[in-house]
Amino acid sequence: MPTTRKMRALLFGLALASAAACGGDGGARPHDAGVDAGGPPDAPCSENPQTHAEIINACTTAQKIIKKPTLPLLNQDGSLPPLPP
Amino acid sequence: MRRLALSLTAAGALALAAPRAAHAVPCDQVPGLSNPVYLQVGDTQLSLMKRLGRAMRDNAARPVSMIFTTSGSCTNIRAIYDRTPIAAGTNVQYVPSIAENPTWDPATSPTLTCQVPTGGKVPDVANSALFGSACTTETPPATVHHARGPVQAYVMAVPKASSQTAITFEEAYFVFGFGMAGMAAPWVDESQLFIRTVTKSTLLAWAANISVPADKWKGIRRDGSSMVVADLESSTSPEKALGILGAEVYDGRRSTLKSLAFQARGQWAAYWPDSTPTSFDKKNVRDGHYTVWSPTIWMDSEAGGAPVNADARYIVDLIAGRTVAPAPSFEVIAVIAAVGLTPDCAMGVTRGFEGGPLSRYTPPESCTCKYESLVDTSSCATCTTTCAAGVCRNGFCEVR
Repeated sequence: MPTTRKMRALLFGLALASAAACGGDGGARPHDAGVDAGGPPDAPCSENPQTHAEIINACTTAQKIIKKPTLPLLNQDGSLPPLPP
Repeated sequence: MRRLALSLTAAGALALAAPRAAHAVPCDQVPGLSNPVYLQVGDTQLSLMKRLGRAMRDNAARPVSMIFTTSGSCTNIRAIYDRTPIAAGTNVQYVPSIAENPTWDPATSPTLTCQVPTGGKVPDVANSALFGSACTTETPPATVHHARGPVQAYVMAVPKASSQTAITFEEAYFVFGFGMAGMAAPWVDESQLFIRTVTKSTLLAWAANISVPADKWKGIRRDGSSMVVADLESSTSPEKALGILGAEVYDGRRSTLKSLAFQARGQWAAYWPDSTPTSFDKKNVRDGHYTVWSPTIWMDSEAGGAPVNADARYIVDLIAGRTVAPAPSFEVIAVIAAVGLTPDCAMGVTRGFEGGPLSRYTPPESCTCKYESLVDTSSCATCTTTCAAGVCRNGFCEVR
């Protein structure tokens, strides 16, 4: 196998391994109101999480749900309005 | 693992059932109820009380009779801080020893009932299923000893007939903070939101995790977990129904309810407490992918640095995973795992306050391998005395 093809195969394998480590949806995604049927591309996961943000988004083999609900009251910048009194 | 699932399901079927109250007599007149320790605990700890209570009655080296009542975590903290007695005549629960009833099963049998004797009884042990700071910011009395016990996860649950599988932080904020006005479909009917009263850990833990103060929540406030379970199971609008429960309460009701995966603020996906909706491994609690959990806190009284009731301290130390003497005649970690709690020694993350940020955690004496062998399967090497790497503990080569 020419070196470039070897490299390409290696990179493809690494990409697959990385995707698996980041915990895809494990096949069929359950039907769910507000779930993006296609799903956004996986955000990068952290292999060596240290901070809170990295820990909750660390690579995992656990089953997950990608959900993008429609929330009419959400501010345009994604922030939350204050609670009603 | 299958055995654990069956155990939890059976526990759920009856753990919420009312105790057998007929012919209740004062606890100090019940034959054989020796070395009594009175506990006032959260209702999420009922399964633990039954299973541990049975083991302690028959703990040959140091038998103890655990006599318990359930109340809200904040109420329990106040009771031991202020030394508020459980009123005389109050019906409290206990379990029989093997000699008294060899067929009694902690997973399926009801508790027995006796009455608090004349004069009342200040609880020897109090429990909160969340950080004490979520209830009060006052400095704990020097006479109260605190120990951090197993971790308690909390879930949002829906009827089995619901098609919903996940809820995000933002959705939960609008559902419970705004109610119908939040327009977070399908949870827009406040008569179908089943929550808890403001002293309950289940509500306080969720409140801290979705940034909606406990007293601002919309929905029907229930005093007990069993009422929330009943509300969800009997809902005629399953798609709109949503309730909050301790994970171990939910684990026992999986035949009729579903838990929702939760996506915390800043998280890219939603996860269940377990690695899949059908497993019992609490993997996502242990590694930080599921954020809604609290440590259980166990308190007993002390004077001059010594426990007021040595049997109470023995129980607290057992639950907290500390080495006790004499060693118990049963595996405490098996008791904890069987009731859906996660021992601190199996945790890989920790936090400093309710809903606070997670940080990595390495327990001083890990029990992850042993815990995983109880709730799933362990890939760790087994051992009898030594390990090529790590420490031989409970038959497994733990990392430390």
